[in-house]
Order: sequence, then structure tokens, then C-alpha cells
Amino acid sequence: MTRPSEVKPREGDQPGTPYEIFEIGAELPDMAFSITPEINTEYLEAIDEQDKNYSLNGRKVCAPNVLSVYLLAVLYRRYPPIQGIVVYDQLWKWRNPIFADETTDLIASGKVTEKFEKRDRKWLRFSAQFRKTDGTIVAEANHTLHLPE
Amino acid sequence: MLEKKIEMTQAIIDQYGAINGDNDTIHYDDELAKSRGFRGTLAHGLNVMGYAAGLAAQMYGERWFTEGELYTKWIAPVCPGDQLVVTIDNDGTIEGRVAQGTTMVGYARLVNT
Repeated sequence: MTRPSEVKPREGDQPGTPYEIFEIGAELPDMAFSITPEINTEYLEAIDEQDKNYSLNGRKVCAPNVLSVYLLAVLYRRYPPIQGIVVYDQLWKWRNPIFADETTDLIASGKVTEKFEKRDRKWLRFSAQFRKTDGTIVAEANHTLHLPE
Repeated sequence: MLEKKIEMTQAIIDQYGAINGDNDTIHYDDELAKSRGFRGTLAHGLNVMGYAAGLAAQMYGERWFTEGELYTKWIAPVCPGDQLVVTIDNDGTIEGRVAQGTTMVGYARLVNT
């Protein structure tokens, strides 16, 4: 089992990354982690969900959005966070299920796609892809944040 | 239309933070959050998104897990004491509302790839 806190640098643990340091096109390197039945159960409880809504062809699957608790780790492992980052929007595409009765080893990677200043705020956008160790794509995401001054 | 109501509490924020693994004080320090102009600590945007994703899974069934696309944009905070109402319309339009107004918008749909 990989808890997000095991792979995600936390705010304040190390010097954070100011806006100027982010590079458009920067690769966000592979991050290996495992989704277990226990993580899925804890996640479902945190979002007040029932596992009865999650099955595919009679087999239990994870809430695909369980990946959302790992998404920022893809960015933060290259660019440690500063306090005060605010999420703006997020786009997810689920492509293959994560089964809820077994441990699934995953690899996530990404890229910084945009940074810009607008309405007196500094914005950052990155993309990420989550895949199984055999290369099967599980999900893709795009995430926009605004960074504090 | 499907709807979910949540009475937001600090305990819910803390529970989500435990699995989310963040340490951003805006979610946990009421005094600090108020000093920055908010009504209180902020629920995690991704926690609020999770409620919408749950409604989408319920609406779209098995196809959601291989063809689902979810977009959410957070436009105002959700704080402890708020009653959050998240809805998904039959066309997939998502909205989250608290007494002060809309807090999240977006959509959920199936996309064949």
C-alpha cells in the first residue's frame, strides 16, 4: 500500500517552489505507487461513498477518482509545494478500471503544460498520466492551480 | 437529476486530509483561514469533486469506469458549517452550492475512445 503522504512532499517540509522556477514543458518523472483495497475503502469513506456503486461485470472496482489524492504528488515531487496553493480546475479521463479486490501497481508521470499571469494571479497547469506497470493507461488528468504571491 | 447533501465539518476535512496527505494550513487552521479573508477553514476542492464523481458513477454505471470524463472547477470555498448540495443533471452538468452561492461547476460525460 502506498499512502499519498509517502510519495507526496508536504507543504512546509522543505523550501517551496516559487512561480518563477516552474518550466513549461518540464517532465514530471515517473512515480510508482500501489492502490490497495484498504486505500480504496478509506477513500470511499472520506467522500461518503458506498462501494455498491462500484462494480464492473460483477467485479468490484475502485472509485476511479481515488487517483486524485495522488495527482499533486506527480507535480510536487519535482517542484515541492509552498503553502497557499489553490486548486482551480481539473479534468479526468478514466480509461481502465482499478479492481478493488487486489493490489494494483501504478506509475504516474506528467508534464508542466502552461504557466501564466492573469487577473493578478499566477497560474500553473500540468498534465499527468496514470498507467499500469504493463503500460495500460488507467487515467489521464489535467490540473490548473494558482500559486500564492 | 441526482443530488447529494453534505453538512461540512472540520472532521470531514480532517478525514479527507488524512488520505490526501497534504499539510496546507488553510484546511486546518481556522484562525489563519479567517485572517486570509475566508469564513473558516476550506474543505479540499478534491474532496468536493469526489462527491460529484460519486454521483457520476451512480448515473453512468459500468461505462463510467472506462469511458468517463469529469471536469470540475472550484469557484468559491466550502467551510465547516456549510450545507453543501452537489447535483448532477441528466445532461451531466455538475454544480455544488452552499448558502452563499455556487462553489463548484463542471460536467461528467461518457466519451468513447
